[in-house]
Amino acid sequence: MSGIARCGGQARGGAIGRAALPVLVVTLMLAHGVAWAQERLAVVTTTGDLRSLTEAVGGARVEVTALTPSGFDPEEYQPRPQDLVRVRKAQAVMRVGLDFDLWVDRLLAQAGGSVRRGAPGYVDASLGIATLDVRGLSIGGDGHAHGSGNPHYWLDPRNAEIITGNIQAALASIDPANAEAYAANRLAFLSRLEGKLKDWDERLAALRGVPLVAYHNSWPYFARRFRLEFIGTVEPKPGVPPSPGHLASLIGTMNARGARIIVRQPHEPEKDAAFVAQRTGGMVAVLAASVGALPGADDYVSLFDVNIAALRAAAGVP
Amino acid sequence: MTDALGLLWPAFVVAICLVGIHTYFGIEVLRRKVIFVDLALAQIAALGATVAFLLGHPVQSAAAYGYSLGFTLVAAVLLAFTRAWSSRIPQEALIGVIYVVAAAAAILLIDRAPQGAEHLKQILTGNIVTSGIDELVFIAPLYLAIAALHAILRRWLADRASVAWDFLFYATFGIVVTSSVALAGVLLVFSFLIIPAAIGVLYADTLARQLAIGWLAGAMTSAAGLAVSFAFDLPTGATMVCAFGAALAIAGVLYPVLCGDARLMARCAGMAVRWCAAITLAGSALWLIAAPRADQPLLDAAEYMLPGLRAGYLSRVELATYQDARAYAERHRVEAERLNAIETSSRSQGEALDDDTVQRISSFLKSYGEMRRGEEFVMREVRAHARERIRWMLGAGMVVLALLLMPGALGLLRQGAARLGPPAREPQ
Repeated sequence: MSGIARCGGQARGGAIGRAALPVLVVTLMLAHGVAWAQERLAVVTTTGDLRSLTEAVGGARVEVTALTPSGFDPEEYQPRPQDLVRVRKAQAVMRVGLDFDLWVDRLLAQAGGSVRRGAPGYVDASLGIATLDVRGLSIGGDGHAHGSGNPHYWLDPRNAEIITGNIQAALASIDPANAEAYAANRLAFLSRLEGKLKDWDERLAALRGVPLVAYHNSWPYFARRFRLEFIGTVEPKPGVPPSPGHLASLIGTMNARGARIIVRQPHEPEKDAAFVAQRTGGMVAVLAASVGALPGADDYVSLFDVNIAALRAAAGVP
Repeated sequence: MTDALGLLWPAFVVAICLVGIHTYFGIEVLRRKVIFVDLALAQIAALGATVAFLLGHPVQSAAAYGYSLGFTLVAAVLLAFTRAWSSRIPQEALIGVIYVVAAAAAILLIDRAPQGAEHLKQILTGNIVTSGIDELVFIAPLYLAIAALHAILRRWLADRASVAWDFLFYATFGIVVTSSVALAGVLLVFSFLIIPAAIGVLYADTLARQLAIGWLAGAMTSAAGLAVSFAFDLPTGATMVCAFGAALAIAGVLYPVLCGDARLMARCAGMAVRWCAAITLAGSALWLIAAPRADQPLLDAAEYMLPGLRAGYLSRVELATYQDARAYAERHRVEAERLNAIETSSRSQGEALDDDTVQRISSFLKSYGEMRRGEEFVMREVRAHARERIRWMLGAGMVVLALLLMPGALGLLRQGAARLGPPAREPQ
């Protein structure tokens, strides 16, 4: 670049030299811009939720890919060969932890390097979360097989503070030059979330005291934050069809309590939920437990917007 | 109680309906030796439904059903024409290939469609408890029509072993299987198909009698399976499949008693049981001697059924330690459940627990889990230590018992005693 400028300066004299200066500046800026774009941190997350939160913290400085495509059940995802390439190229990997995305362990072991367990690029986002439904070593009474607690903690929007804290710490340690920007992004996101939280709280006030039933126990964190009452699950043990005794007692409880809303995720079987709904005169509300599971739930904030709208519609609140 | 019965009777009606048509098809399937054809046809139908789903039709729509049917008919043509294709490869091989290729193709197709895999799973894993009268209204007339068609055409076509009859058989069977699998799931439909038919074929020669026996056995087994599922609170489909397995086993055991040489069979069975017991005992004894601290399935099972056995080989101190540890483990479990219950109810009732309290409860629960694990470790250690102490004595005793149980062992002993006997008497 400077060669061109010098050349121009020598051949045409001052006027052209003056014209060349802005060109030089612009070119240099462009070149720097390209270099800056290339320096974007490559981050891989296991779920769309973590992708959304990482984008909120990293802003334009990170390039985030979620391994689970939208609409797939992240708990049951089977990695593709391309995923290994994505993990190998990544400077950081964010996972849900709590035995939710065990499938990523093999990818991490194969990829090695800066994203293996314990390395600065490895982030278990559940670090510091107050876990619910901890049932020690066995499958507990309500059958969630996660010994280390229920893993759906991102469904409490207040937990975003802890999750983004973990993300920010990792990004800052990999890219210390931009540490302040990450901290600022996170604060801006959290204050936006705080405003939304008030709104969501108000919108869900209509459902306080309304008994709900879930297809599967995925909503304890959501329930706790918004003071909702889940009185049972259709399928108590994941993958095991409910027994007639369980279905009968669930229908009995629902009728006794006047529960009319059954919450189901899009990937959970339609038929069993519809059966219980038919027996109780209830209806099924389809809620997304992850970003991308329903149209409109494109990021962490709209995930709650969509779910809360679906719950209000099911409860008949205009 | 009555609520669960209210859920079960529609399932029973569905089961009767499925047993009715599948026993007939099952007898034909056994005769043709195409045992797994129902799995292949169900998978082909699922592939058809997958294609419909990718083209934008809902899972339980007429269009999806149409695609399923189309794919099934293509498979029926394939199966009808390949029956006499080659004597070198059994048709069952082709059926297996159809099954795996259809399953793999469906996975490849569904790979790009969100939630597709779940829909695919739903096509093949019906739950008989949640299938009710609504579905029967559609299924029962269809099955009756197919049965009538077979009753009329069978006489005309069956004797000639024609391609037309083969095609009709596979096409109608495909329709039946596709509908049944959505109601009851692959495993249960396979049981409905093969087991009553096998029992019928075992005990009778004419189609009418085979059908009658199969229907009776199928209906009784379905009722028994549903009753067990209700009484022991078990998933219904899986319980019924096991009940059908048990029914076949009972029919197999009764067969020699009713139709063959009962004494010979009893002797064979006695030998088999004794050999099994002897080998299990000897193997367990060697395993105990070799690795007393490892899992000992036989001893563990015996202790589980008769906890009093523990007092027999644990010393007094060991027994006290063991019982103490167990009591503590139970206490930790109860305490953890109590904390969990408090936290769960606080989500919506009373005053909300703040995040710090929930955090504290969570770490308490984890500690209780660890403590329980610790107590269980103590229990295992005490037991392993005691087993290490008694392994030679108990192992030797088990080996002797195994030798005594071995068929022919007593005879050998008697012979040995007889051979040793005479020289002892000689000096006199």
